This record gives sequence, structure tokens and C-alpha cells, in this order.
Amino acid sequence: MRRDLGLWAIFLVVVAAVPWTFVGGDRYLMFLANVMLMFMTMALSWDVVARTGQLSLAHGAFFGLGAYSVAIAFKLWALPPLVGLVFAAIVVAGIAFALGLVTLRLRGIYFAIATLAFAEVWRTVALQIPDLSGGTVGIAMPPLFGGDRVASYYVIGAIFTLSLALSLAVRWSRWQYAVTAVRANENVARVMGLDVVRVKVGLFTASATFAALAGAFYMPFITHTDPFDAFDIGRSVSALVFPIFGGLYTSAGPVIGTIVMRSLEEYLRVTPPWKDGYQVVYGLVIVIAVLFLPRGVVGLAERYVGRLPWHFSR
Amino acid sequence: MEALPQTLLFGVLRSGLYALTALGLAISLGVIGVVNFAHGEFVMLGAYSGFWLYMLLSGPLGLGPAVSPLVILIGIPLSGIALYIVATGIYRFTLRPVLRQPELNQMLLTFGLSILIVNATSITLSPQAKDANLDWRFDVLDLGFAGVTYARLAVFAVCVALVLASYLLLQRSRLGKQMRAVAQNRLGAQLVGIHVDRVYEIAFGMSAALAAAAGVMLVFQTQVSPFLGLGTLLKAFSIVVLAGLGNLTGVLWASLLLGLAEQFVSQYVPGGSALRDGLFFVIIFVVLLARPGGLRR
Repeated sequence: MRRDLGLWAIFLVVVAAVPWTFVGGDRYLMFLANVMLMFMTMALSWDVVARTGQLSLAHGAFFGLGAYSVAIAFKLWALPPLVGLVFAAIVVAGIAFALGLVTLRLRGIYFAIATLAFAEVWRTVALQIPDLSGGTVGIAMPPLFGGDRVASYYVIGAIFTLSLALSLAVRWSRWQYAVTAVRANENVARVMGLDVVRVKVGLFTASATFAALAGAFYMPFITHTDPFDAFDIGRSVSALVFPIFGGLYTSAGPVIGTIVMRSLEEYLRVTPPWKDGYQVVYGLVIVIAVLFLPRGVVGLAERYVGRLPWHFSR
Repeated sequence: MEALPQTLLFGVLRSGLYALTALGLAISLGVIGVVNFAHGEFVMLGAYSGFWLYMLLSGPLGLGPAVSPLVILIGIPLSGIALYIVATGIYRFTLRPVLRQPELNQMLLTFGLSILIVNATSITLSPQAKDANLDWRFDVLDLGFAGVTYARLAVFAVCVALVLASYLLLQRSRLGKQMRAVAQNRLGAQLVGIHVDRVYEIAFGMSAALAAAAGVMLVFQTQVSPFLGLGTLLKAFSIVVLAGLGNLTGVLWASLLLGLAEQFVSQYVPGGSALRDGLFFVIIFVVLLARPGGLRR
């Protein structure tokens, strides 16, 4: 564990140094670096819910709700973006807690269906309240730090670090046993005296809060959003494809998966014949991973390279 | 209240297609126990086959007024068989290997298939929505209190016929009894000598064939696009949840309820046509809050 912590510390130092390399001078690369950290946060937080055996399709919606919370708080009370982050986190945590209480008492099937329905209804809601949300036109706010992408990089970097801390804490604390027990067999876990609903609702709420923080960062970073962009199902898809590709139930998996898959997406998006249909690759990755590579790249590396020098995936 | 009879009629007509779509979903869920997130994509593929048939019949063959009935008569068996074959292939090569895996993996697999099919369609065909200008979409039958297009009536009649035929198959035939036995008790069915794996495969194929038929009929109502699956799926989910997961007879009245509720909301609530699109959500959450087992169990 101490060795792992050391490796993660080195990783964080590398992440912190990125703006001081050639990347810092290039506005496009700096944009990409910001987005990478944002999606790493999404992927790490989705994976925490997956560890309890639940399929959340609502992470894109939490992202969108986070974005709208910041923008609306700015519009109504001129709340500065950094305070807005906290506001968005609180609002979405409340919503996620309520959603979890209703759906996580039931079978996993209900949860997956309910989160998909939840994800798809917010677009309709946002279009129905144009006074607050701006309707189809969307909502705008001034850029974070006047558009300074290095400064914003450290903001999303801090959020990413916290989400990594959550992911590692779940793995290294007693929660790991609770989470694994719930995933392996809920009924047995319950018989062993574990409060299954509390574990699932607690982690789901914490996870949703990070998805909301990612969205709350995205809003002032990108300066404008509308219901179709904020509640794009594609973001829920990204949040689950990246960890699956990298390796489920690990902390390294979501990070590696995001770096590889998000880079690939950046290429496919501008390359015919893929363009807007680039997600066909995501669908393929999910199917292949579930069938042949249940532990993703991290699992593959362990199988062929042998046991890695650090306990990455356990 | 002059609009009341019309609202009732349109609500009932609307529910036919819902029942057909949701029945397929309920069969795969009830018999195999897997949530098929790609069910909407089966509907979408069926809709494209209906659309191509329309293009073929009205374009090169130039059949004029005969096109509408022919799309139904040829399109449904053809796309039904095609999707049956596709779905049994999907079952054998992707679904069967994960049946013993955790539920999360099964759901991820069908969700992955859904994304794969949507985007493959959008790349190979076009992301643009297409419209089939079938005659029946514009010819109106005057009933006195309301005017109804032939398309609506045909869609309802065909859907009701197919749903009834499916129920008959499930109730009377040997295969149907086997399916219901597997749905009730997987292990028990195996013990009395039912080849469970074969029943799964046929059930999944049948569910896709019903979705394909619903897709062909969809051409009579709306535009065809690679992205129509998700909305279709969510409505079908709300029906299946309302009926109780895997409850096949419950699908009928649950569809009727959704159809009527949507029609009433869009008729009587101000700004209702937009709110109508959120009804699936309301239904799912009310059911989950009130009676997690479905309203009828």
C-alpha cells in the first residue's frame, strides 16, 4: 500500500508538471489536458458505483446537473464559479441521495433502468423551464479565470485528486470488504450483518458528487451549455467505457482507460468515416471487454507481463 | 369536453404499438432474465427495413396505392425473420457466454450492443432522419366525432393482431408453455427436461422479431432515424416496470395506461405535448416508490 501511494504521488507530480512542459504553451493541448482530468474524474467516480455491482447510466445527468447548478447560481445570485462548485456538489448530492434511496433498495435491474430514465428526463425538464435554464438557447457564464487554461487545469486537477482519493480510500479501507461482499452476493452480505443499502446509497451519493463537480467545472470552462449538450447520453457512455477499457474495480484502470480512449476519440472525431459515429468504437470496446477482457488493460498487463511490480489492480 | 371521445380513441390507438414493443422486451426479460438495452435498436432496424421496402415498392416498382398494404404484408414477415436470425446470432455469440456472469456484465453487454448498433447504423447509412410518405399516412377516415388516418388504424390493428398471436403462442403451444415454465422457474424447467438454452435462444429471437414488426409499423407514424431506439426503449421500460418485471399479461393494460395518459396530457395540459415525453419517467418512479414489485403483484 505504501508503495502504491508512492507511485500515485509520482503520478500526481507528473500531472501537476504538465503545464510546465511544451503542453502549457499550446492552447489546444492545454484544453485537452483539462478535459482529460475532467473525464478521469467521471470514470473514477463511475467505477466506485460499479464496484457495488450497480450499473449507473445517470452519471452524464449528474454532470449536466452540476453544470446547470453553477450557471443558474451565477445567474440568480452572481455566485462566483469556485463557490458555485460547492453549491453544485451539495445540490446534486441531495438529488443523488434521493434517487439512490428510491432505487437502490431494489434489484440491480431496476436501478439501471431508473438511472437511464433519470438521465433522459432532464433534457425535457430543462426545456420546460426556460426562465431558469435558458431553454433551447442554453445558458452562459464568463470563463473561469478569464480563460486561463493553466489555472483551470489546477482546479480540475484538485477535483481529480479528490476523486482519486475516494477511489483509493474505498479500496484500502474496510469499505473494500463491504463493497466486494455487496458485489459478490447481496443476500449473503446482508446475512453477514452488512447494511447493504447504506453502502450502496453512500457510495452512489459520493460518486454522483464527483460527476457533478466535473460538470460544475465544465460550465465555466466551456462558458456555454444547452440541454442537448449538458444532458448528452454520450457522457454517461464515456464514464463507463473508460473504466471498462482500463480495468474495472481498480483506480489505475479508469485513469489509463481515459487517457487511451479519450485520445482515440479526439482522433476519430475528425476522421471520416467515423466522425459523429465514433462511439461505435465504444460499443465495440464494451462488448469485447465484457466477453474477453473482464479486467481491461490492467488485467491484460498482469496476465502477460506477470504480476506488476506494484499492486495495481487488486 | 367535446374532445373527450377523440382523446380516448387516439390514446387507445397509440397503445397498440407500445404493447407490441413492450411485449418483446418483457419476453426477453421474463424468460431469460436479462435486461435488453438493445431492444430499441431492434425496433430501429425493423423500421429501416420497412423504410427500404417502401423505397423499393414506391420507387423502381412504382406500385402506387398498393404500397401501404404491401409494406405491412411483406415487410413484417421479412424483417421479423431477418431480426430473428440476427438476434439468435447475438444470443449465441455474446449473450450466452455472459449468462452465468454477474448482472452488471449482462447489462453492460446489451448496453454496449445498443451503442454499437446505433452508431454503426449512423455511420453506414446516415445520421439524418428519413420520412416515408406512405399514402395511408395522409388518407383520413372520418368517424364523425374524429378523423383518423388509415395509418393509425392499420398500426393498431396489426399490433393487436400480433400481440394476440403471441399470447396465443405462449398459452397454447408447447414452445410457449416451455417459455412460461422457464420464466417461472429456471431450475424446475431444467429438471422436467426442458432444453433451457434452446428456449432462451428462441425467446430472444422472438422478442427481436416482435420488435422488428413494431419497427415496420413505426414507419407509418414517424420518421426513421438511427437514434429512435432510446426513446422507444424508455417507453417500453416504463410499461414493463408498471406491469411488473417479466409479467406478460400486465403489459397489455400497462400499454393502454401509457397510451391514454400520454394522449390526455397532450390534450388537456397546457404545453402538454412536451410534457408527454417525460411521462415514462413519472410512471417508472411512481411505480418504484409505490409498489416496487409492479402494480399487479
